[in-house]
Amino acid sequence: MELSQPGPGLWQLFRIWAGIGLQSFGGGASTIYLIYHTFVDQRGWLTPDEYNRDWNLCIMAPGINLIALTILIGRKLGGARGVAVSLLGLLLPSAAITCILTVGFLHVQDIPAVQAMLRGVIPATAGVMLVVGIKYAQPLYRELKAEGKLKLGTGLGIIVLVTLAIVLWQIAIPFVLIGTALLSILLFNRLLPQPAPAPASTEKKPDREEKQGRAVEEAHD
Amino acid sequence: MINPLLYFFLFVKASLFSSGGLTNLPSLHQDLLAESWAVEADFGQSLAIGQISPGPNGLWVISLGYLTYGLPGAVLALIAITIPPFLVLPIAAIYDRIAKLGWVSAVMRGISLAVIGILISVSWTILTRSNLDWRSVVIAVGACGLMLTNRVNLLVILVLAAGAGYLLYGF
Repeated sequence: MELSQPGPGLWQLFRIWAGIGLQSFGGGASTIYLIYHTFVDQRGWLTPDEYNRDWNLCIMAPGINLIALTILIGRKLGGARGVAVSLLGLLLPSAAITCILTVGFLHVQDIPAVQAMLRGVIPATAGVMLVVGIKYAQPLYRELKAEGKLKLGTGLGIIVLVTLAIVLWQIAIPFVLIGTALLSILLFNRLLPQPAPAPASTEKKPDREEKQGRAVEEAHD
Repeated sequence: MINPLLYFFLFVKASLFSSGGLTNLPSLHQDLLAESWAVEADFGQSLAIGQISPGPNGLWVISLGYLTYGLPGAVLALIAITIPPFLVLPIAAIYDRIAKLGWVSAVMRGISLAVIGILISVSWTILTRSNLDWRSVVIAVGACGLMLTNRVNLLVILVLAAGAGYLLYGF
């Protein structure tokens, strides 16, 4: 955990995270890139391995993965105060701009031309969201496909079930998630055949996780 | 009349049971509409503003907070989305012990599959609740196609969509 380069001061940490937040337009892929570039390539405060491990942890945490990553890196570089300034830096300037844009929108929303443009942008966000889902699904698809048709079919079945549960049956999301988790334990861990434990399985595993982590990076947030 | 505590709690809950910045939408959609604290249009608008704004995509809820409850709503939303990711700290502390357990990877796989289903239902909800017609389907499919090429910046896609909206709906 020892830093290979001298660590940053709190004010410097704040400015770095503010810069990352304000420069990341168009979703998480650019933010992820900026974080990696800044902390691993430029400053050398994190090794690529530390970064990958941190990112894998963040995928497991609830909510916005980028905030979890900010917490982990902030803690590593400045303890509790590091977490605080990193979060303030990432979130406050960007949140302020989001508010200002919203206020601006409220002022112009009654103009017919703005209404028309918005009617174009809203279905586009639906399309974008679908692509986020597709990219998120890709590593999982490859993984399940490698484990056989039965697992792949089970995976697809779960996706369909979740979609129906939300859209058609209007089941509350916490119950959908808890139900899916229990169903997955039952199906993947109990009923369906387990992947044969190859001798090299202990070495294989981090590799697989890393790949999934990277692919998710591209799709997420 | 909005109850600030419950409002805050609903945002925390949505974020706690989400993975990534957009998957808290269905939960907020269900809860805020049930309380009549938001109208359908608020969701599409705040998502669109969130895509245009800098920072993580998840900040769209700040816009939703502002649209539904003004500045207090934006502040409550910001605090609410910051809390659940802190669970990464206990996860980090036990990760080495739990990562190899079979049921943990099964749960993670289940959550990932659910996230895909949630994103599909979010797209579906946005599309069907916003005056669905052939024009919106064309725009959604076009945006989807452009995104899949991986060559067009998201902001460019949104500007194109705004232009298409102006041409298709503006006259």
